[in-house]
Amino acid sequence: MADNTTTAVNLELWRSPEEWADTPEFRQMLTQEFPDDVEVWTDPVSRRHFLSIMGASLALAGVNGCSPRPMSPQKILPYTTQPQGMVLGVPNQFSSAITLNGVAAGVRVTSHEGRPTKIEGNPLHPGSLGSTDVFSQAAILELYDPDRSQALLHVGAPSSWDIATSTFKGDLEKLKAGKPANIRILSGTVTSPTLAEQIGKFSTRYGAKWIQYEPISRDDVSAGARLAFGTDLTPIYDFTKADIVVALDSDFQTAGPGAVRYSRDFASRRKIREAKSDGVSATEMSRLYSVEPMLTSTGAVADHRLPLKAIDIENFTRALAKKLDVAGTPAASALSEYATKWLDGLAKDLESRKGKSIVVAGDHQPAAVHALVHAINAHLGNLGQTVSLIEPIEAKPSEQLKDLAGLVNEMGEGKVDLLFIIESNPVFDAPVELKFAEALDKVGQRVHLGLYQDETAARCHWHINAAHTLETWGDARAYDGTVTIQQPGIAPLYDGHSALELFTNLSAAPGQDVQSALGVLKEYWAAKAGASDFELFWFEAVEKGVVPNTAAKKVDRNAVAGEWAKSAGPAVTSTGTEICFRADPTIYDGRFANLGWLQELPKPVSKICWENAALMSPKMAERLGIHAWPRWTAGERGRMEIEYVELTFKGRKLKVAAWPVPGHVDDSITLYTGYGRTKSGRVGNGTGYNAYELRTSDAFYSAGGLEIKKLDETLNVACTQAHHSMEGRKPVRITNARTMAEMKIKVAEGDEKAKETRKKAKAAFLKAMEPPVAAGEYELIKANVPGPHNNAIQPKKDDHDHKHDHDHDEEHHHAHDPRVVPLTMYPAMNNEGRRWAMAIDLSACTGCNVCMIACQAENNIPVIGKFEVTRGREMHWIRVDRYQSGAPDDAEAIATYFQPVPCQQCEKAPCEIVCPVGATVHSTDGLNDMVYNRCVGTRYCSNNCPYKVRRFNFLTYSDYITQSLKLGRNPEVTVRTRGVMEKCTYCVQRIRSAEIVAEREWSTRKKDPSGRPLIADGEIITACQAACPSQAIVFGDLSDTVTERTVINPATGAEHKVIGSEVNRWKTEPTNYALLAELNTMPRTTYLATVRNPNPDMPSKGA
Amino acid sequence: MTGTHAPASLTIEDPLLEGQQSLTEVGSSIGGYVLDQKKQPPQWWFFFAIGFVLMTVLLYSIAYLFYMGVGIWGLNVPVAWGFAIINFVWWIGIGHAGTLISAILLLLHQKWRTSINRFSETMTIFAVMCAGMFPLIHMGRPWFFYWLYPFPNNMGVWPQFRSPLVWDVFAVTTYFTVSLVFWYIGLLPDFAFLRDRAKLKLQKIIYGVLSLGWRGSAIHWRRHEKVYLMLAGLGTPLVFSVHTVVSFDFAVAIVPLWHATIFPPFFVAGAIFSGFAMVIVLAIPLRKYYPSVANYITRKHLDYSAQVMFGTGMLVCFGYLCEIWFAWYSHSLYERQTTWQRMFGPYGWSYWILIFCNFVVPQLLWSRKIRHSDLWLMLISLVVLVGMWFERYVIVITLTREYIPAMWGNYAPTIWDWATMIGSLGLFTVLFCLFLRFLPMISMTEMRELLPKHEGGADGHSILENAP
Repeated sequence: MADNTTTAVNLELWRSPEEWADTPEFRQMLTQEFPDDVEVWTDPVSRRHFLSIMGASLALAGVNGCSPRPMSPQKILPYTTQPQGMVLGVPNQFSSAITLNGVAAGVRVTSHEGRPTKIEGNPLHPGSLGSTDVFSQAAILELYDPDRSQALLHVGAPSSWDIATSTFKGDLEKLKAGKPANIRILSGTVTSPTLAEQIGKFSTRYGAKWIQYEPISRDDVSAGARLAFGTDLTPIYDFTKADIVVALDSDFQTAGPGAVRYSRDFASRRKIREAKSDGVSATEMSRLYSVEPMLTSTGAVADHRLPLKAIDIENFTRALAKKLDVAGTPAASALSEYATKWLDGLAKDLESRKGKSIVVAGDHQPAAVHALVHAINAHLGNLGQTVSLIEPIEAKPSEQLKDLAGLVNEMGEGKVDLLFIIESNPVFDAPVELKFAEALDKVGQRVHLGLYQDETAARCHWHINAAHTLETWGDARAYDGTVTIQQPGIAPLYDGHSALELFTNLSAAPGQDVQSALGVLKEYWAAKAGASDFELFWFEAVEKGVVPNTAAKKVDRNAVAGEWAKSAGPAVTSTGTEICFRADPTIYDGRFANLGWLQELPKPVSKICWENAALMSPKMAERLGIHAWPRWTAGERGRMEIEYVELTFKGRKLKVAAWPVPGHVDDSITLYTGYGRTKSGRVGNGTGYNAYELRTSDAFYSAGGLEIKKLDETLNVACTQAHHSMEGRKPVRITNARTMAEMKIKVAEGDEKAKETRKKAKAAFLKAMEPPVAAGEYELIKANVPGPHNNAIQPKKDDHDHKHDHDHDEEHHHAHDPRVVPLTMYPAMNNEGRRWAMAIDLSACTGCNVCMIACQAENNIPVIGKFEVTRGREMHWIRVDRYQSGAPDDAEAIATYFQPVPCQQCEKAPCEIVCPVGATVHSTDGLNDMVYNRCVGTRYCSNNCPYKVRRFNFLTYSDYITQSLKLGRNPEVTVRTRGVMEKCTYCVQRIRSAEIVAEREWSTRKKDPSGRPLIADGEIITACQAACPSQAIVFGDLSDTVTERTVINPATGAEHKVIGSEVNRWKTEPTNYALLAELNTMPRTTYLATVRNPNPDMPSKGA
Repeated sequence: MTGTHAPASLTIEDPLLEGQQSLTEVGSSIGGYVLDQKKQPPQWWFFFAIGFVLMTVLLYSIAYLFYMGVGIWGLNVPVAWGFAIINFVWWIGIGHAGTLISAILLLLHQKWRTSINRFSETMTIFAVMCAGMFPLIHMGRPWFFYWLYPFPNNMGVWPQFRSPLVWDVFAVTTYFTVSLVFWYIGLLPDFAFLRDRAKLKLQKIIYGVLSLGWRGSAIHWRRHEKVYLMLAGLGTPLVFSVHTVVSFDFAVAIVPLWHATIFPPFFVAGAIFSGFAMVIVLAIPLRKYYPSVANYITRKHLDYSAQVMFGTGMLVCFGYLCEIWFAWYSHSLYERQTTWQRMFGPYGWSYWILIFCNFVVPQLLWSRKIRHSDLWLMLISLVVLVGMWFERYVIVITLTREYIPAMWGNYAPTIWDWATMIGSLGLFTVLFCLFLRFLPMISMTEMRELLPKHEGGADGHSILENAP
């Protein structure tokens, strides 16, 4: 094998079965299996015919493999006996885990007849609580990606698992015999206890060394903990308990382990509910401060945001610690005037809420910042309260970057005989100065196991096509250490194998029986569990997706060693331009580059897709002479013309598109990693620019010394929204917690001052909330309609005369509460039956876009590619609009707001009256239905939709050809053809399935007020609602006044009993408003205004 | 003034007929082109060739369109209507002058209409054909176009009658049908004339069939005149209804600046404006390249047409002023901002082109001298046609910036948009050239009626008027 190293290794995909059939293995198989057909195969003409048949059966092989459990290949026959636990046409859900950087997201996989089609969060999983991030949603597409590696290759030629493993075993034994053997394993971060055990066994057996490397590593977090506590500890946070959160270059709501959970916890303290309901009161709202260079989702929703260069954050942290009198803080240099004032306000606020705040540093900040933050949290009494320290969740905590450098060094010296690269792509993503690829070529034998034949696979002798997460057994830990059993949902489509299988196989002694992955897993957990009835334990663990009592131990540490601080030098402050490398919000470190869903998902703030760019402040762009704003030919949505810039960093150059982001700090460039792949597959190849070409070990996340030059060359960037301003309109209505609190203060007799305050607050609130949306908003109408007011126009609370079978409780409003009846002169129609409705709390939305991709997965929404996006034709049924206020060239003044916009399901829908063929019609329960097969494509409905939520299939966007993609589609949603309009349906398929169930259970169900079987609140959850990490979306029946629920105020822990559907309760909030209510379209989707909680002591430039 | 054959005393009014005319003269000078007795001028071949090439472009682009889908055009989500609808409205507007001239002016006893009614009616029919093509091909699934008609079907599905697009289908179909019948009835005596004079067998057969057994008896004449008058009565409201309904496509929508009550009259005036511009654009080359025709289509006709064009043009410009005033008076943020965007936004240039073409340039028509200059009239009419195209462009482009700023977008036509649009001009040219070749371009019957009595004519009175 070793002599192969000099041969050019070409591991391209085999393009056709013919190519594949030319391998000796295949010929051998053929002679054995089909002796009669050998001649057919050797004759080139008839071979072609046979191959076409063969090709068809290969395509069907995927279908054949569809099985809830791995099984041997069988013929496709209808079931004579239905398999247990499967009703045809009724999807199953099973628990599993999807990992990113080794950390598990607990998921429930929806499976139709054995085909996983949708990922939902697992409500029992601590890292999910039922929500997901964008990456988990895309796992379905990854599973069915036609560009996945479909064969095990040896030097470019198909081989087999048996040949591969026996070869490895032989080689390993040989290497073991000769001394010294240098066997290395390189993988990403592993939290799986079972895999770690198997790798451990393997390592002991053959003396192998295991190195972990992630391009988005958390090295600095653990280094910071070591500095602060002397040992490896990981901080985790409880945002429900925090009154004040300070994020130092941290995007804790959308990035890093636990983000999904953190987002939900944080949002629970941001949702204001006047009615004793599932939220907090205005006075209990938490406050978020953010200090960061690039505007992130977290910074965008912060109450106060200080744009600061990434390398200046250490200095800022020192200054903050100094201000708070944290013992042993190293000296800080002076801050800018604005930052000093900012710091003063922040410190004062923090001191007022000791033990009830969280200071959180971003993973990409240096160890010193993390150590300082630990010291600050300890000083404020947050440790043990809002911040917990746990033992690392990694199976083998390590200093990844150092280890990788060591490995590359060994490789370069030719010391490594056998290298296993497990599901990572270091040729692409290792720091550039290590020259990983060159060193790799000097390794005796290189084995790659991965989902794709990527850049690394192309340089290895062996490529083992990995089984997808959803195809194989395993386990993994969540952000807090809780273990989830990763349960396969489908037999491997391409006969792939997992790392666990590989090491289980290799660690077995020759001749010994090799256990299956499931066997190893069960064996491991049987030993761990110590349960009397292991089978029951196992069944429950797998079913629930959570292995009990596996959360990492909380370590009680309060004191922070300050020794390191004494030796700390002066804080680095930057001059010149810095560069920040950050994980891409959608394709991460590049591993998801071939997933169209993620490529087409706009980046949360910049709204560009299919590309990365040098993100910079508009001021800097202007200085460089870049046309910061689109030219008139380019427009505002879709195609944006912009110049290239050339970045020079440590002597290396990179040509990349420029992109100004209002709110980005000046003199700083943010560059997302993961783009510029050359071997990712057909979708990802050639998109964007490779940030890794500039990234070095000593400038892993941020460093100064960047030179930047504008090039006289422009390109088109796909951007779904370049317009920032609300143009004086109020698509997003904004108010603040203080106004809301002052509006409700109790005024003592004769307290004129308090009375005045309350009056002013009320006026300010009414102004923010105009125009009114519902009949109940008499106050608003009074404030906005000139002339004398007649109380008669105010509808009475119960403007109806039918009999009630329930009591009128003052506390609980009624379904006919005028606040949920649209403002109209006409008698309200159909307020009796089910009225589906949605409410979106803009205070909770972080603009993370998970709703968009969840909707895409649920509703078979096609990916259209960069070119079509540049033409303004993206198909997402729900989009997230981003608005900014403040002067674009003053980053400190920028305020950012997000607004998810699905179809508003207007009761008086403008789209419906203009459709000439009645392809869009209203249902009795208030849905604005779209009849695809009636649509002739005049597009009038889209023109007449003031919200512009309708999407048109201008070309044949749906892929009708690729077999594997068909497996992943939701069979309950039509795949739309060319020339047809489509839009959000409130996931009508989910509504109707729930209705069918309810009707079937007619006799046993409670009845709703209209006499139909009650569909309990929460029984129907739309895809966007389910996925939303911050739970900003709620859907339900507006007429439901029956559902009873106990809710807990996250701030006080107090329990309340509430009646009626959640959406009904949300809609009676004073902050509830309808988008473009003045058009009287009466949308069923309404918004709860963005409430921010600014600190009056802070300097403020923005709105 | 400069007419050489008119005595100085007759300059008060230019004559409707020029030269020495007689019954035979009328027949041979008009019918001669059809019956191969006179050669088509070389320019005919020139225009036919250009038209044919462009029509091929049209056919190719439609074939590609049907193969790929409407995505080949520059449409996107805020701007879901583009060139197709602009062209539709533009063509249908042009199609207005024909029926206006034939029907309304007939009812109003405007004798000058007789020389230009035939070719302007033909222009109407061809323009409506070009117009009708656009909404059809702009559909996402054009093969289901018939779903817009209320046809009985076992699914019990009907069109959605609240949609202006359904009214559009009815209005345009009706307009086309009535125009076609009106045109054909007018042609009947001419067909009979051609049948009688034809030398070739094929011509005899074809014109014979087309003349429906016309013998020229008094009864025939009487019935012909009656039907003609009745159809004129039918056609008259259609002139107003078609463009009114077309304007509803916009006025019924809630898009700011579309949603305005002024649209129907404004659109009708605009249609006549552009229709007469097209009449002039067609008449001037006809006069030039068919010398004998110049005797029938005189300066007077051009002058009258120019005056109608100018008058309706100023009505249209009044509409522009009204739009601005409405926006201001509405106190609506959207109306005001959209008006501002229309004038000074990214597509502001198109608004100023529109003002220049439709308001500034037509002011030249105050001058009689300019109205009597072929070159000037031709140029002004072309400018007006461009201006009216831009009017529809400006209206459709309003979609780029309406309610939600996040969805403010842009629109840029692709090569296929241009190909289809220019191709439709080619189709029109080809059809019109074929008309010149195979049908009498001026109504011989009505020309003969125009002749003084001593020449065998009716002094410009129709037979019906003289009948007891």
